[in-house]
Amino acid sequence: MMSRFWYKFKKWLPTLVWILIFAAVWEAGAFAVAAVKRTPENVLPHIYQIVEAAFSSKKVSGGKTASDLVLYSASLTLGRAALGFLIGSVSGFVLALIMKISKIVEKVIFPYLMIIQMIPILGMAPIILSVTGDINTSRIVIAAILTFYPVATGTLAGFNSVERSKYDLMHIYAAKKTDLYTKVLIPSAVPYFFTGLKIAAPMAITASILVDTLQGDGGLGTLLSQSLKHAMSVYVFWLIVFFSAFAGIFSSKLMGSIEHLVLPHKRTARAAGKGEAV
Amino acid sequence: MSDKRKRDKSKVSVFFANEKVKSAETFVLPVLFGIFIMLLWQTGVLHRLLNTDTFTLPLPGRILAIMSDNRDKIWMNTMATVLVALAGLISGSLIGYLIAIFAALNRKWGASGLGIVAACNAIPIVALAPVMTNLTKDVSHDANTRSMAAKIIVVSIVSIANMSFNAYRGLTELKPFSEDLMASYAAPKAVTLLKLRMPNSIPYVFTALRVAVPSSVISALVSEYFAEYIIGVGRQIRENIVLAQYPSAWAYIVSACLIGILLYSILMIIEGIVLKRHVKA
Repeated sequence: MMSRFWYKFKKWLPTLVWILIFAAVWEAGAFAVAAVKRTPENVLPHIYQIVEAAFSSKKVSGGKTASDLVLYSASLTLGRAALGFLIGSVSGFVLALIMKISKIVEKVIFPYLMIIQMIPILGMAPIILSVTGDINTSRIVIAAILTFYPVATGTLAGFNSVERSKYDLMHIYAAKKTDLYTKVLIPSAVPYFFTGLKIAAPMAITASILVDTLQGDGGLGTLLSQSLKHAMSVYVFWLIVFFSAFAGIFSSKLMGSIEHLVLPHKRTARAAGKGEAV
Repeated sequence: MSDKRKRDKSKVSVFFANEKVKSAETFVLPVLFGIFIMLLWQTGVLHRLLNTDTFTLPLPGRILAIMSDNRDKIWMNTMATVLVALAGLISGSLIGYLIAIFAALNRKWGASGLGIVAACNAIPIVALAPVMTNLTKDVSHDANTRSMAAKIIVVSIVSIANMSFNAYRGLTELKPFSEDLMASYAAPKAVTLLKLRMPNSIPYVFTALRVAVPSSVISALVSEYFAEYIIGVGRQIRENIVLAQYPSAWAYIVSACLIGILLYSILMIIEGIVLKRHVKA
């Protein structure tokens, strides 16, 4: 038991040290800022001040504490992001499958996938709003579009990564086309699909927050712009920064954990290959 | 009858198997598709399909007219965005590559350091951009310069994570036994790095850049929303949308797309040249 704990500790030690280094640099910066600025909390507050703000029971706005406010807005934003993410990842996978089945579809669509990625999300917001007629739906659609690209291209790369010899083998077996897909192509594309999901998850959250800043009906983005304009305590801003950072990291890690659940045999090989420590 | 059809079919398949036809296909098909969409758009069919009007989604002709009317203004904003995207991309990729080298040489500390960097990648740009705007308040008295610094930092943070992760794979995922061969030569670490690891990482660097180029443009656009000084394509899109000037917003959306496509094409050309030489060597 003890040795197991020790082993775990040793494994996490470098990460822990890096986090401590990060905190030390932040604090050094905070002290430097505090020495020269009149309102240091606008630029770089101490970490303990942010933690204090998170747990303080002071009412910031509308009879709510800072944490309540952030968590409530976050539930709105993250809910929309999650729904959009789900729709985007399913349709991304399906499109990659269609592109694999039909070369012509791939040739026609693939260049446009890249262009879609290039269109700034906020630019799409009013158009999608006029199509759907509802700001919430358009947020979900935007998160879906952003998720769609990395998932579709990742999965397609997975389909294309299958070696010639595997096709030959299936040919020798006189396998049906559906068997080729269900037994060879889709299983080998799944890890790539998850790589796409890991990239897309934080992007869906970013998209959802960004669309919030456009219309003011609740959500993290709305709160972010309000606190930046000093409509409420500036610590709300810092809480949102930390919260969205953690949400982004957590969403990516969550996809990693789901991948481990779905593909246990990939665990050791991938961990060794990618040097994933956290 | 059926025999004739078969022969026709085989003729068609021979036609499509021809190499020249194939490479022309990759170019012609998307262009045809694009022209088809443009036709739908210009004739208003697209508007009916999407249930929208020409105010929110102006006709392509009108967007082009606006772009040529405001040529100078759009050009200035485009250059500001390109400058931010490229400066951030280059500085971030260089730093990311250095981090990858460090991590490849010190696996124990490096790999977990990369984990932290990867975590940074998951931080939404919306959270980074305002922080950087705050942090760079003292860089210069000129609002344009300090906004520029903030935006470049945001773009480079996004590029760092991407590059370090991919370059690390390129520096460590070597051909089997090649590392042992270098060890049997008693090659110093630096030589292994220069002669084996770095050449091996080149394709991975391009993989990283393929993701980094579009994302650096997008981070540049988003960081402009939060910047102090009002300049750049992204900021203009936002300003025009807030003022409900959709046609002008569309002119900037089109130029944002053009920036992305242009930078990506340049990358593809460079990749083609470098990788060709790389394979030969």
